[in-house]
Amino acid sequence: MDLRDSFRNATRAIFAAKMRSFLTMLGIIIGIAAVVMLMAVGSGAKQSILSRMQSSGSGNLYLTAGARSNVLMGGGGLGGGNREGASAGAKITAEDLTYIEARVTYPIVVSPTNQTNITIKNGDTTMSGTGIFATPTYFEVESVTIADGRMISDGDVDNRTRNVVIGNTVQTTLFPNESAVGQPIRINGTSYKVVGVAAAKGESLGNSVDTAIVLPFSVGEKSFGVVHNVIQRTTIKCVDPTQSSAVTTEITDILTRKHKKVDFTIQDVAALTDMVTSAMTILTALLAAIGGLSLLVGGIGIMNIMLVSVTERTREIGIRKALGARERDILVQFLIESSLLSIAGGVLGIVVSVLGSDFIVSRFTTTEITGSSILLAVGFSIAVGVFFGVYPARTAARMKPVDALRYE
Amino acid sequence: MNLIEFSDIRKVYTIGSITIDALAGVSFGIGEHEFVAIMGPSGSGKSTLMHILGCLDTPTSGAYRLEDHDVSKLRSNDLARIRNRDIGFVFQSYNLLSQLSALENVLLPCTYSTHAMSGRNERARARELLERIGLKDRMSNRPVEMSGGEQQRVAIARALMMDPPVILADEPTGNLNSKGAREIIDIMKELHAGGKTIIYVTHDDTIGAQAERVIRIQDGRVVADDRN
Repeated sequence: MDLRDSFRNATRAIFAAKMRSFLTMLGIIIGIAAVVMLMAVGSGAKQSILSRMQSSGSGNLYLTAGARSNVLMGGGGLGGGNREGASAGAKITAEDLTYIEARVTYPIVVSPTNQTNITIKNGDTTMSGTGIFATPTYFEVESVTIADGRMISDGDVDNRTRNVVIGNTVQTTLFPNESAVGQPIRINGTSYKVVGVAAAKGESLGNSVDTAIVLPFSVGEKSFGVVHNVIQRTTIKCVDPTQSSAVTTEITDILTRKHKKVDFTIQDVAALTDMVTSAMTILTALLAAIGGLSLLVGGIGIMNIMLVSVTERTREIGIRKALGARERDILVQFLIESSLLSIAGGVLGIVVSVLGSDFIVSRFTTTEITGSSILLAVGFSIAVGVFFGVYPARTAARMKPVDALRYE
Repeated sequence: MNLIEFSDIRKVYTIGSITIDALAGVSFGIGEHEFVAIMGPSGSGKSTLMHILGCLDTPTSGAYRLEDHDVSKLRSNDLARIRNRDIGFVFQSYNLLSQLSALENVLLPCTYSTHAMSGRNERARARELLERIGLKDRMSNRPVEMSGGEQQRVAIARALMMDPPVILADEPTGNLNSKGAREIIDIMKELHAGGKTIIYVTHDDTIGAQAERVIRIQDGRVVADDRN
């Protein structure tokens, strides 16, 4: 029996019982939609975490004081200071950074920063934010661009000039009607001059430049109580991001030799990204497996209805056999029917999941329907149709012609 | 050499602890171009005999040679091929597929043929067969839209589709009125004249009397074998 005939037979049988076929498909539709949508939520979450990590700079290493066993979560994450390290007596100094820069063989850009919470005031308007003490390299390694004015210069750092760059939110909150550039601003009671406004960037790994003020690294020892010889966090940008792990190894060696022990931590964004990627992939697979349970139930529905169909059509099977149908012909006929039901359900399920994730789920969380989840869904629905169709089809194929013909 | 050779065919059914000999050792031969009626009261075993003749069922013991091949030991795929190519079967209740048109029903055996004609030739042959038995205008009708006699003629056209040497008919006129029955008998006579071997089962003496040879079965045995 050629396949075209088989397909025609199968579609005819499916359309002959429209309601029943649709209800059977519904199980698969729900199953496939669940798998695709849950995977979309999983990979959407992965994408949003990864894009945050990448916006903080690919190829960036973060050097902080204190040895940590848990690289991923240690010391309050990437944005955390060196509180834990400081309490252990370990510290990173400006001298350490000079020492490293002199010895590293790869091209790098070093940006030391200290942070503290500050109160910012313009006239009667006050807001709280983060004071980031930084050098000009900060803007390069953190990919912070200037929307208005200029960045902190080397001269500002060298001369301890009270010039600051303010974040976008600070600009809109404190200077709603005018450019802040050239305006005075009070930070913790001391007057500074705004020389630049940073472009809005959004949050990246707990640090938001939008609500921050970037001050020259050298200012504020007295007014803020920050000790600039102890550097809370140093961002090291690898000019070639692919060298990040080699640079990590090299700096670890250099600093370990200088300190005679490992009392610091270097976090590699790339390594962290890999870790998050694999963790989120596992999460996505887990979500898909939960959706897969409903697909299983749908598959059992197909098997059930195919068994009913085989029983109902016993006489037809007998007639076909009397006219020369072999066991294989009957088997294929019913397998195609169950597969078609399942594939049609799968395709409708994909449509439902695309609509559902675009219009409903995306209101609550990021979703991303990937090509691989669609392929997986189609593959699964074919597999379900064949797997759950085999038993009913074999029952049909193995009927003895004379018994099938006698069936009333 | 006979076309069909039955030697000591037995068919035993076991239901629980009871065994029933549906056929208790049947032997006969049927030559090419014969026109045979198999007669007997209900329960005599004539239907079982017909099913075994048609390779729809296998005997418990005995040898069945068809065209000099022992078919009693064949496997299901080979039996399917014989049912497709060598035997045309006509049933009492027509056994057309209700979802298919007359033409599609006639074409059905081609679907299972191992060496198929081209689709166009198949359709041409099916149309010609339907025209020959007077159903030119009914080709696209479904079985429910046709009378019993028309349905049975479609079934005969279907049996002829693969041009088998043997036509087996199990009570072909059992569900028809006398006019319809006469038409079917006339078609079978015509086919016989055209060279087919015809074997049909009936319990109606007037229908049985139309055959050239009558084999009578009772309690699973041949009790008479007469030539008219």
